Amino acid sequence: MFTFLELHPPALVVFVLIVAFIMPTVAHFKRKLCGPVACVALLFALAGSIHFAQIASVGRVISYAAGGWEAPFGIEILINPLSGFMLLTISFVTLAILIYSVSSLESEIPPNAIGWYYTVFLLLVASMMGMAMTNDMFNMYVFIEVTGISACALVLSKNTKLATEASFKYLLLATVGSGFVLFGITLTYLVTGHLNITFIAAEFTSIIPQYPFLSWTILSFFLVGFGIKSALFPLHVWLPDAHSSAPTTSSAVLSGLVVKAYIVALIKFYFIMFGFELLNEIYFRHLILIMASAAIIGGSLFAFVQLNLKRRLAYSSVAGIGYIFLGIGLGGATGLAAGILHIFNHAVMKACLFMAAGAIYRQTGHKQVNTLQGIAYEMPITMGAFSIAALSMVGLPLFSGFITKWHLALGSIEAGMPLFVGLIVLSGLLNASYFFPVIWQAFFDIDAHKPRTFSLDKIPVSMSVSMILLALAVLYFGISPEIPLSLAMKAAGMLLQ
Amino acid sequence: MDITERIVQNYPYFVSIVLFCIGIYTILSRSNLMKKIIGINIMGNAIFLLLIAAANIRGGIAPIVPHGGELPEGVYYVNPLPAALVLTGIVVSLSVTAFALSIVVKLYEHFGTIESHEILEIRSLD
Repeated sequence: MFTFLELHPPALVVFVLIVAFIMPTVAHFKRKLCGPVACVALLFALAGSIHFAQIASVGRVISYAAGGWEAPFGIEILINPLSGFMLLTISFVTLAILIYSVSSLESEIPPNAIGWYYTVFLLLVASMMGMAMTNDMFNMYVFIEVTGISACALVLSKNTKLATEASFKYLLLATVGSGFVLFGITLTYLVTGHLNITFIAAEFTSIIPQYPFLSWTILSFFLVGFGIKSALFPLHVWLPDAHSSAPTTSSAVLSGLVVKAYIVALIKFYFIMFGFELLNEIYFRHLILIMASAAIIGGSLFAFVQLNLKRRLAYSSVAGIGYIFLGIGLGGATGLAAGILHIFNHAVMKACLFMAAGAIYRQTGHKQVNTLQGIAYEMPITMGAFSIAALSMVGLPLFSGFITKWHLALGSIEAGMPLFVGLIVLSGLLNASYFFPVIWQAFFDIDAHKPRTFSLDKIPVSMSVSMILLALAVLYFGISPEIPLSLAMKAAGMLLQ
Repeated sequence: MDITERIVQNYPYFVSIVLFCIGIYTILSRSNLMKKIIGINIMGNAIFLLLIAAANIRGGIAPIVPHGGELPEGVYYVNPLPAALVLTGIVVSLSVTAFALSIVVKLYEHFGTIESHEILEIRSLD
């Protein structure tokens, strides 16, 4: 299997796509079987992704010409450290979410929609994998659109008033975003005559001094387009509604992965095509840093005032996006690697938090954060996983969130901007201010007159299993971060060449 | 070359940029969801126009190599790749439009209106 995958890397995407369209058939015969089949398929995809990540981590790059057409004319698929890292993140986190979905979906979406839900979910996974792999701009655009539509469908699947309204807003803004991206791609193609990112990069070295204004225009189009799609701070208006009104599994995958897939596309475009020196020269880097700082502070403040738990988590995602953009703006080897590493860490933490929120709602029906007194005695597994992920969001040592914050701080010192160390500490305090009250209430705010007894969660096994899996991942990658960190370092080194 | 002549010669580019702005303005300013979807389409078509206009050569021929393999002197063929890209883009924008329209139908079932400010009012009452 692995030799075949090495020869044909897109087979991974095609495999997930085929399984996606088998799902309605499976649902037709036995609806209960859909979840397990999707899980097994993604287990294979995870094995393939781990293999690709291993290949990338020893410094081998696989280049594949789709349809046998060589690079400048055909579509090129590249397996390099960045795509290996992203494939690993996508398949690991979506596998955990799918394990959760096996028993959680029935209570959240209409039963006859379950087969199609898995279709859309796997379509999303496949298109994100495609975005990670491809080295061709127009191919990237097509995958961006597939991701956008299937992400909207995941929100819509809940079929409530709020979800429908949120998904329309999401679709509208996502389409505007991809319009801007397509304009940028068009201008790039017109000025270079290539669609392959490597060839554009070679062409741009002579074009940027010749047409400076045009290249700045292209940069701005990409920033606005991907900024809308990845919810960079002033352009984040669609995110809280969409992420809080969607079914739990959709919220987890949207907040954990979809917004980051767009950031990876932006990183590819910016760092490979234009190079970091240009961003620094024309103050684009400073613009990104300002927006990222605003995202970190603003997202945390907005999260602080939300009483709905899922909305609070959604706004906290805005802050998480800010960290990744902070890493991009810092731009040094350490800073960029920290930003890329945060893609993985934030995906794991945020998926775990959203799934815990979904489990709390399922067992107790509570949505508001001020109704969770003593809930840890009723659902210790859920609240344990929630606390681990929340402490990691705050950035305490021994949790994976600490690793990224530590490297971001190192990166800001390396880039000669020690101000951002203060920002990171401040944001840690802000995160604590909206996560600690939840944990405090759950564990320690107990009615003294009512003796509490300890009882295990009354949620299905698969939901607990996936939350435990992600919580353990947070702990494991907090204590020994070598695997993702070395890949992220390699990716940053490749991008800054 | 003087500036008016340049504008007149390159008018498709200006038209496409004006259309792009009209599309975004429609999306942002109109309250009717149908008009917002029309805005999306105007915006998308502006980009397709830019691609097609830039690829076209006045008097160019179809990209088919004649017998003998050589084009006559002074005859150019039109780059076929942008046409293929636009075709893909049209398919994408068609599917986005279809999906958006189906969401509008759902919104109408839930709220009884397709005006976005009325939907906001109903939402704030809940």
